[in-house]
Amino acid sequence: MSMQIRKQFEEIVERFVELKNTSELMIDLAYSSLLLNNKELAEEVQRLEEYMDKLHTEFELLVLSSSFKKEEAKGFLGLIRLGVVTEKIADAAAEIAEVVLRGIEPHPVLKLTIEEAEETVTYANVAESSPLVNKTLRDARIPEETGMWVLAIRRGDKCIRPKPESKIQAGDVLIASGYAEGEEDLKKLASP
Amino acid sequence: MFLVLYSRGWSDLNSMPRLEKIEYKPIPVRELLLEMKNLSELMIDLAYSAALFNDKELAEDVLELENRVDTLAYLLEMEILIAARDVEDAEALTGVSGVASAADKISDAAADIAGIVMQNIGVHPIVSKVFEKVEERLMRTKVSEGSILVGKEIGELDLAARMGVDIIAIRRNKDWIIDPKETEQIKLSDILIARGAPSGVKEFKELAEGKLKKLED
Repeated sequence: MSMQIRKQFEEIVERFVELKNTSELMIDLAYSSLLLNNKELAEEVQRLEEYMDKLHTEFELLVLSSSFKKEEAKGFLGLIRLGVVTEKIADAAAEIAEVVLRGIEPHPVLKLTIEEAEETVTYANVAESSPLVNKTLRDARIPEETGMWVLAIRRGDKCIRPKPESKIQAGDVLIASGYAEGEEDLKKLASP
Repeated sequence: MFLVLYSRGWSDLNSMPRLEKIEYKPIPVRELLLEMKNLSELMIDLAYSAALFNDKELAEDVLELENRVDTLAYLLEMEILIAARDVEDAEALTGVSGVASAADKISDAAADIAGIVMQNIGVHPIVSKVFEKVEERLMRTKVSEGSILVGKEIGELDLAARMGVDIIAIRRNKDWIIDPKETEQIKLSDILIARGAPSGVKEFKELAEGKLKKLED
């Protein structure tokens, strides 16, 4: 296989990985917005849904514009179909977020879905001077230090699903949930 | 009025057979939603891994999880039907009904992905190769007799520091333990789903299968 084709393959897969991760993050955030009854998170999901549409179109165009041989094309059919499914997942997550944006009424059954304790969602900007910069989430030990749980990392117009090996960069916005007491600790840690 | 104050019979869910009548069980809505969230995420995660690494065993797990999420969505709908007594209730509860239907869509999507694997539509082998470079893969392994993992708590294994591996779920008979706690003890015949770098995952599989007898520092 020529270098050029290999590069094309790599680019397509990288695009797909982003589609996949964004769709997974959306499910996570959509349910979190519901459980915390938090409209900001729900808005984040809606924003990501638009971003997904854009990503998916780019992904499909990239696949279509690649000149595959017949045997290679067959191997990419699965990937195209996966792309369609990621879009479905994103739509479903957006539907959950929509429920939150419409406003949850204080019905007794629904009350059970809202945290009894005062759990909040907070946004923390990571400054150049923060000890978190260049650390992986595993090493940063944010839940242990602050009691806050990172739900997502916003980086430019991307939103990253936090994994233990995700590296924190200066300029990231950490979206985290936890009890109100932890909010200050997290903000101090991110922007000392 | 609180419909549900306890969660008797929660574990009965696990033994629920396919496509049978789903009986109402009083489970708090919050618990239902949390379980649906965890299962949906795991299911989607497993589904992608199944497709990208052409792993039929993982795909089968996905189909089983789909069944469970569908059951939970039905139970959620039942809670709603029982709680609605008048117009106001109905207005307040339609939102939750929307959640149940969205959850159903997500699990259907995961099943679609599993279907891609089952129908042998296939993903080009180079896709798996590239994917492995940029993303950590999920691996499924059964704890065999003679494995040093048997009887150990997850926390004491310190897998993350040793080999960069995280156990994200345990399947024990029909039960799924998602995001197991540090104190969870690994049992013989557990199916472990782990995530990590290829070398770490390989080492971990050997530990689970009893081929590797020592934890290296």
